[in-house]
Amino acid sequence: MSLIISLRKIKCSIVLVLFSLSGHSQELFSLTEPASNRPAGSIGFRIDNSIMDEINSSRINYHLIPELMVGVSKKITIAANVFFSNRTEVFRKEGGSIYAKYRFVSHDGVQKHFRMAAFSRISFNNSDIHQEEIEMYGHNTGFEIGIIATKLARKVAISSEVSFVKATDNGNKNKFIYGNVNSKAVDHSLSVGKLWLPKEYSTYRQTNINCMVEFLNQLNTGSGKYYMDVAPVVQVIIKSQSRIDIGYRKEISSNMIRTAPNGFFIRLEHTFFNVF
Amino acid sequence: MKIIYLFIAITFSLALNAQVTKVNLKASGLTCSMCSNSINKALKTLDFVENVVADLKTYTFEISFKPNSLVDFDKIKNKVEGAGFSVSEFTALINFNNLHLKIDEPVTIYNKTFLFVNLHEPLLNGLKEIKILNKGFVSPKEFRKNKYPALLPGTFQVTI
Repeated sequence: MSLIISLRKIKCSIVLVLFSLSGHSQELFSLTEPASNRPAGSIGFRIDNSIMDEINSSRINYHLIPELMVGVSKKITIAANVFFSNRTEVFRKEGGSIYAKYRFVSHDGVQKHFRMAAFSRISFNNSDIHQEEIEMYGHNTGFEIGIIATKLARKVAISSEVSFVKATDNGNKNKFIYGNVNSKAVDHSLSVGKLWLPKEYSTYRQTNINCMVEFLNQLNTGSGKYYMDVAPVVQVIIKSQSRIDIGYRKEISSNMIRTAPNGFFIRLEHTFFNVF
Repeated sequence: MKIIYLFIAITFSLALNAQVTKVNLKASGLTCSMCSNSINKALKTLDFVENVVADLKTYTFEISFKPNSLVDFDKIKNKVEGAGFSVSEFTALINFNNLHLKIDEPVTIYNKTFLFVNLHEPLLNGLKEIKILNKGFVSPKEFRKNKYPALLPGTFQVTI
């Protein structure tokens, strides 16, 4: 209990520190999606690389996830990705997922907005089940459904997501070994972002550097087991069209079996505007 | 025959004298340059747009148009909304040709119908900047303060 209270204090302190710093901000978070959508008619291509340390060995798990994101309209974004990994000794394709987001609240003001969106992900994965952690982005077969709220105010962008995840058996006869009761969880995230550079905008060619912190938590509704992770991220935006995110995900606290919760990730993304 | 062609040309040029030369719009809901760039690129896809000059500090876009083109204000607003944002201010620089205004009477200029909410200048001649007051062209707060009556579709409430 005291650990959870002190973790909450750490979270609040970090958020307060970011609130007190001046500057504009970014909501293009790395491990979560904001409630905003991609511009209508745009297609984004992303390559996500994760280099995670296995807890019980010296092995590195490398995950490669290429993704295509489409701005269907001002309210709808859809995406599809493919999961590759070397976790099972050989680097191979393990599955994929499709994702859809629907923005249902949008209040815009000068240099600010409040948005809310509903999202869903359906995933397929044929690798073996190796951890109690349920992850629709590269580990489990199943679905996720949730809500995102994002607030952008002149100085800070803050976003929070709550979702329900349900894991089913994986492909290749890999059963979900923890039982049906423990196959459901609630995920929650809190993300805060801030623009560091440039101090003043002048052209689209300027390189933007953003700093973000994301807190990602899961609570298994069957076993009551949880994890709490933090991920600081540095993001570079080039010519207002391409993006490079470099971050490190670290487990703060957990009592569930997890194979490789800590590690670096690098995401490269490019958006083509007005494709259709 | 030549006289007919001349007559058509004069009529056409007179109509063109009441045309939109520039639009200045301010976008809301954004702070980042990538957001501004998505609006900038979206506006440039409109076939009647010649050029867009974006000001990243003020989130404003100055749009100039191709000669003799039909400028569609709704299409401009829809492009900003399609990019994921909103218009908080929309002004158009129009070249008027001796237009007489009467209160509560809409005037049709070229392809647009305007209802002027004030009559500071009952006769409009030359370049004048008008501000659109319709929903979606001003901030929600400003629109709520607006007590002007509801409009026919395709009519713009404007002020100078």
